Amino acid sequence: MIEVRGVTKYYGRTAVLNNVSMVVHEGTQLGLIGPGGAGKTLLIKIMSGLVKPDAGKVFVDGEEVTALGPVALSKLRVKMGMLFQNYALFDFMTVEENIAFPLRQKNELPDAEIRERVAQILKAVDLPGIQRQFPNELSGGMKKRVTFARAVIHDPPILFYDDPTAGLDPVTSSKIFILLERRRNEKGTTSVVITHDILGVKDICDEFAMLDHGRLIFRGTREEIENTRLPRVRQFWEGKAEL
Amino acid sequence: MSRLLAAIGARALSASTELGGMVIMLLHIFRGIFTWQMDVMETWRNLYKVGVKSFPIVVVTALLVGAIMVIQTGALVAQYDAYGLLGWGAGFATLREVGPIMIGLMFSGRVGANNTAELGTMKVTEQVDALRALAIDPMTYLLVPRFVSIVLMMFLLTIVGDLTALLGGALTAQLLLGVEPLLFFWSIDEYLLTEDLFNGLYKAFTFGFAIAVVSCHFGITTSGGAVGVGRAVNASVVASAVSIFVLDYLLTYLLG
Amino acid sequence: MSEEQATMQAGELAPPAELRTGFIHDVVGALGEPVLHVYREVRNILGLMLLTFFYTVFRRIGWSAVFEQAFNVGNRSLFFITVVLGFLGMILIFQSGFQAQKIVGDLQMLGALYVQMLFREFAPTITALMLATRVGTGIAAEIASMVVTEQVDALRMNNADPVQYLVVPRFIATLVMTVALSCVSLVVAFTSGMMLGWGAFGINPATFYNTALLEWGDLIIFLLKSTAYGIAVPIIAAEAGLSAFGGSEGVGWATTKSVVNASLAVTFLDFLLSGFGYVVLFS
Repeated sequence: MIEVRGVTKYYGRTAVLNNVSMVVHEGTQLGLIGPGGAGKTLLIKIMSGLVKPDAGKVFVDGEEVTALGPVALSKLRVKMGMLFQNYALFDFMTVEENIAFPLRQKNELPDAEIRERVAQILKAVDLPGIQRQFPNELSGGMKKRVTFARAVIHDPPILFYDDPTAGLDPVTSSKIFILLERRRNEKGTTSVVITHDILGVKDICDEFAMLDHGRLIFRGTREEIENTRLPRVRQFWEGKAEL
Repeated sequence: MSRLLAAIGARALSASTELGGMVIMLLHIFRGIFTWQMDVMETWRNLYKVGVKSFPIVVVTALLVGAIMVIQTGALVAQYDAYGLLGWGAGFATLREVGPIMIGLMFSGRVGANNTAELGTMKVTEQVDALRALAIDPMTYLLVPRFVSIVLMMFLLTIVGDLTALLGGALTAQLLLGVEPLLFFWSIDEYLLTEDLFNGLYKAFTFGFAIAVVSCHFGITTSGGAVGVGRAVNASVVASAVSIFVLDYLLTYLLG
Repeated sequence: MSEEQATMQAGELAPPAELRTGFIHDVVGALGEPVLHVYREVRNILGLMLLTFFYTVFRRIGWSAVFEQAFNVGNRSLFFITVVLGFLGMILIFQSGFQAQKIVGDLQMLGALYVQMLFREFAPTITALMLATRVGTGIAAEIASMVVTEQVDALRMNNADPVQYLVVPRFIATLVMTVALSCVSLVVAFTSGMMLGWGAFGINPATFYNTALLEWGDLIIFLLKSTAYGIAVPIIAAEAGLSAFGGSEGVGWATTKSVVNASLAVTFLDFLLSGFGYVVLFS
């Protein structure tokens, strides 16, 4: 379970996140939406401990992330996986080395088994046999799927997906959303999905939250957001140019 | 064997492509200057950015360089007990060689790298194409102001730098060697000629020219996203540094 | 959650006291800002240096990464260093030869004095400045690109410390190569100077090659300087790279910062070590 309490972050004089509080219960897939620059990526980076807020606290499974030292933080990170907006694949490593990275860092499994797992997961994302290629040889969709594989290979109970379908064609987008849904259904992960693809994410998220200019302006279930009367939220949900 | 030749050939070809590109760009810039097609606002902005903002760095470098030259010459001068030559020795080296070179290298780092980075970013984010689409010639709008500012400011800042270096040297002479500033400056006055100063200034002008050309060229021909910008800056400062030394040698030889 | 609750929750916090503006505040701020800025930079650089030392000594080192970096830093810079120092040698002999002829008239000691200057000053310092441009920007650009494409965040998410992973190999490689290349510079500059001395002034190479004036102090200073530069340049470049943000603009800014800071640091260290050399070793 992830709890965010009064998180605020300033860049210069602007509050990029302003007093954001919410709870993501265990096993929930939360859709985090909002206009560009509203602070969504920053929020998940604060949740995962990559960034420290200027005010407020974050609790993950009871532990206060914002107060942890580097050693404790690294123990916590083992429970997390993140799919980055710009792939963030290590361009000096092969696909196999990239995906195996979390497992090799944990250093618990023998090498042969790690390679087997990588092969399995590549099959699961429909990219068999590309282990020896380098990231810059892959297309956008392929890179997104490799990033997904790297984020989930160590079976973390908490997952952050930052715009998993940005810039992808409709067919590839569906494939990615299917992967997300399957993971939630099969493994019961707690996840936060940042996206602009409202249609794609409607059916796979149980709950939604919307950020606008750093403030949380909506937090509720699928039913609540469908029936909301808040104009800004309504506009965003239906994708209308004007209120 | 043929692979080695191919490698040398490839290197030579790429070097001449870069050089050719620079010459063509230079022609564009000259045409812009001589037909007075500069954008005044841009030029003013660049003069500020290049000159005023580099001032602190040049002053600090010059002070340190002056001090270092005195320390090094000091050891020699003490050996021969020739304190009257200290001002001349340190001053000569500073004005003619070390001053223009160090300030040139510092300038190439601060201004040249920055220039390439800015132009490179504009190129990879397609701002240069956007200018062309608006019927604004990138050469006259972007390059001419930068070129003019860099050459002018390098020259002016070297003058300032020379003076500051001598001051730094005088201070170090007093503190470290116990040489009176009066003696130090007398030595400079007595042995150094105006020719020595101008020698260094011609070099400064040439270095400024080289830095301007190289940094603009590598900036405006960047490709390959964020990584490309990094590579362009790298190539730009390396080429500037090599040019400074090669030109310095040529000028030393030509100017005697 | 009801709609009222949602709207209520969107309440704002007032900005903290430090961010309120006022004229006096702004003026004092403008004066103090550069000082604070420099202080913060120096603090970050020293912090990174200590962290790098710690990881180098107390953690496992990925030697293959070190060798790869060493190749990048050393072998790739060889041509560049040779060209620059070759020309420098010629310039120095040309200038000093001319002046020595005019003032002193006798060029016998030129070689001896020259080699001393190379050891004490020019070989280590010019090598370091050149490496600051080539290698410093290279390291800063690489690391900065990784920062802005979130690869560094990905490393941290997987509990790989970016300092241990990225900075330590580059640090070790640059340190070793700086000292090695400084030695190369000595040889190159001396040789080119000797050639020019012979060609332009007719100085016999045997006369030129005169190590009579060399003392142990010169060698110590040479090693001290090249080591100090070899530590400063990669750390400063890495710090500049790690502090990047904002896409390709950020990469450009980081590479510029690395060259400027590294060059200043080399100059400053040169000043300190030359002074130290003069006071301690040669008085």
